[in-house]
Amino acid sequence: MTLLNDHKQFDPVRPGEQWFFYWKTSASLWESRIVQFPQHEIIFIPLYWGFHADSGTDWDFGRIQPERDLLRLTQLLNQHGRKFCWILPLTPAPFLPNGGISVYSARSLSIGREGVHLAVFDHEFNLNKMFSYFEPKVFQSFTGFLKAFGNFLGTNKIKAPIWGASFFYYQEGEKYSFMEDFSIAFDQGFSRYLKKTFPKGADVTNPRTEAELKASFTKEVEQLFNATAEAALGPFWMGVQKIVSLGAGPRESIIRSLPSGKSQLGFTRDIFQHFVNSEWISSALLSFQEKKELLNWILAEHFGSTEIEQRYNYQGQSPQLEQEFRRFGVVDIFGGKRHHESEKIGLIQFLENNFRWLYQSQDQLPFNPEWIDLNQSKLKFFHGPDLDRTTFAQILKLFMMGQRILLNRSGLGEAFEKKLQIFLIENNIKIQEVNFMTPTQLCELGEGRLILFEGDKLVENSSKEKYWDELFKYFNLVQPEIIMDDDIFTMWRIRATSQHELSYLDVRRVNIYNPTSYKKNVTIKTHKHFAFMKMIDPTRATAKSTTDGVDIELLPNGKIALDFGHYEEI
Amino acid sequence: MSLNLIYHFQISQNQDVDFRPASYGVVYFFSQDGFLDPKLLTEMSKTVPDADHSHLHFLNLDDLKAFALRVCQELSIREVRLISVQDYNIGLDGSRDHKSFNSIFDKYGEILINESAKKKGLLSKLFS
Repeated sequence: MTLLNDHKQFDPVRPGEQWFFYWKTSASLWESRIVQFPQHEIIFIPLYWGFHADSGTDWDFGRIQPERDLLRLTQLLNQHGRKFCWILPLTPAPFLPNGGISVYSARSLSIGREGVHLAVFDHEFNLNKMFSYFEPKVFQSFTGFLKAFGNFLGTNKIKAPIWGASFFYYQEGEKYSFMEDFSIAFDQGFSRYLKKTFPKGADVTNPRTEAELKASFTKEVEQLFNATAEAALGPFWMGVQKIVSLGAGPRESIIRSLPSGKSQLGFTRDIFQHFVNSEWISSALLSFQEKKELLNWILAEHFGSTEIEQRYNYQGQSPQLEQEFRRFGVVDIFGGKRHHESEKIGLIQFLENNFRWLYQSQDQLPFNPEWIDLNQSKLKFFHGPDLDRTTFAQILKLFMMGQRILLNRSGLGEAFEKKLQIFLIENNIKIQEVNFMTPTQLCELGEGRLILFEGDKLVENSSKEKYWDELFKYFNLVQPEIIMDDDIFTMWRIRATSQHELSYLDVRRVNIYNPTSYKKNVTIKTHKHFAFMKMIDPTRATAKSTTDGVDIELLPNGKIALDFGHYEEI
Repeated sequence: MSLNLIYHFQISQNQDVDFRPASYGVVYFFSQDGFLDPKLLTEMSKTVPDADHSHLHFLNLDDLKAFALRVCQELSIREVRLISVQDYNIGLDGSRDHKSFNSIFDKYGEILINESAKKKGLLSKLFS
C-alpha cells in the first residue's frame, strides 16, 4: 500500500477500529461515508452524548439538527445492509470535545495525578479537554441522556446492541483511567462520600488511607455510571469494554505537539506493550501523519476486523486450528500486575528473551468453555496473593482437565494452602519434589501438570533466569529462535495444515516489523523443528534461507512475513 | 532551540513516618526533540545541594532555576522556559488546538537565558 493510498483511506469520520464519528461530518455525507466501510465489517458508533443536548434537560435526536438525527443514521445503515452497534462512553472519552460532556454540564476540568489538566489531541490536532465526571451535574445530565436515548430506541424500534466503554491512557508504563480526577469537583464529591460512608467521621490523616479511600470512591462512581447505563439500556446492553487510547494522556499531548512528534517506534512499542497486557486499543486519536505506513500495517494485520469482532463477541473461534491464521501465544499470566510480581521473580525477563510477544498478562481468568478449549495448550501462571476462592477452584479444575498450570504459592492464603494439600491427597496426585533455587513441586494427573513454586525465594537470586530455563525445558515448548534487536517487533500466528502440508503439525507465520530509521538484521533459527516455507509481502525487506534458518534484512519501515512448517522432533 | 520545564509546588507531607518538606518538583522537562533523559536530569540535579535527586524535587524556586540552567549548559541550549502547573493549566484552558497549545510556553513561561551558550553563539557566528 502506498502513502498516497494511505492518505486516501484516512478519513476523520472513520478514524480506526471501524468507528464512525457521525458528528464530524454533515448528515448529508453520512451515506457516502457509510458505503466506504467494507460490507462485512460491523460499524461501531460512539455516542457523543453531550452533542445531543439541546439545553440542560432537552435531548435532540434529529428534531433540531440533522447531524443529531440518529434515526436517519440507523435507517441508512439498515438500507445498506450494515451491521452496527453503539459505543457509550462511561468515562471521559478522549476523542470527544469536553470528553463527551455537554457544554451545559462541563464545569470542572479533570486534573491528572501530576496536577495538570487532562487535555488530549484528537486526530485533527484539536485539543479535547476532559471534564470531571465527579461534578454532580454530569451524572444528572448522563441519566437524562440515558432516559431520552432509551425512549428513542424503544419508540423507533432500534435493536442494535450497545457497548459501554471505559477509556484509559498509559503513562510511563502505568495505566490510568480517564475517570481518575484530582480536581475540586472530585474533592467535593469525596468529602460528601466520606460524610455519608463514615457518619461518625473518617480518619484520613494517613496519606495511604486517604489514597485508598479516594480509589474506592472513584471505583464506586465508575460503577454508578456503569450500573445506571446498564439499567436504562438493559435490553440492548452487551457489557463494558476497557479501551486504551493511543496518544492520550498529558505526557503524550506534549510529545505529540513537538515538531518531531511521537515516533513510529514509540507508537509501535506502545501497541505491543498493550498487546502483552491484553489491553484493547483505539487508534482514533492518531493523525494521518502518525498513523502512516508501518503503524497502519500493524493495526490492520493484527488489530483488524477479525480481532475487533472477536473482542466484541461477534465472532467465535473454533478450539481446533483452522485454515485461517489466528494469534499464537504460549503463556498466559494471571494477576501479579499490581506489584509487578512476574518481573520480580524473573519470569517476564525470561519470556522477553525467549518468547517475546508470545505471552500475555491477563486481569482475570475467563473461565468459560470456549476460552478453556481455545487456550488448552497455553501455560497458565497464577500468583498466590491475587487468588480468590473462585479462581483457586478454577485453577484446580483446569489442572484436572489436563492443562498446564504454574502457581506461585508465595503469599497464598493459609486456607488455600490447606485446600491444596487436601486436593493433592484426595486425588492421589503424583508429586515430584525438586529443590533447585526454590522448593518446587511437580504434580501430574494424566496430561495435567501443576507446578507449585515459592516465587519469593527467586526475587533476590541473581541467576533466576536459569530456573525458568529449566522449568520451560520440562514443558518442551518448541518455537523458532529469533535473534533481533529490541526495537524490532514480531507477531506470531498459527493455522492448521492444508492437504498439501500433511508432513507438518501446523503452520506458523511470523510478521516482522522495523519501525526504526535504521537498517536491521534478523536471524531465525529453526532448530530442526521447523521448515521455512515461504515469505509473504516483503516491503523494504529481503529474506535468505540458510542451513539453520532464515536471515532477514529490513530497511527502515520495512516489514515481512514468513511461514514455517512445524514438524515433530527428529 | 529552547528547553521547557513544567514544575509544581508541593506542600510539606508526612508520608507514614517520613517527613517531606515543601518542594518544587519537576513534572515535565523537554526540548523540541522530546523529553530529556531522566538519567541526565538526575545527574544534573546533583549539582544542587539538598535536592531530592531521585524525584527531582528542589527546596526552593532558585534551586529549581539553577538546576534548569545547569541542564541548559550541559546541552548547550540557549534558554529554558519555566512554567508552573497552575500557569500551564490556565494556558491549556485557553487552548483549542496544536498552535495555541504550543504558544502556552511563550505566553506564560519565565525565560532563563544560558549566558554561556549565548556567548558561544556570537563567537561562532563571528568565526563562521
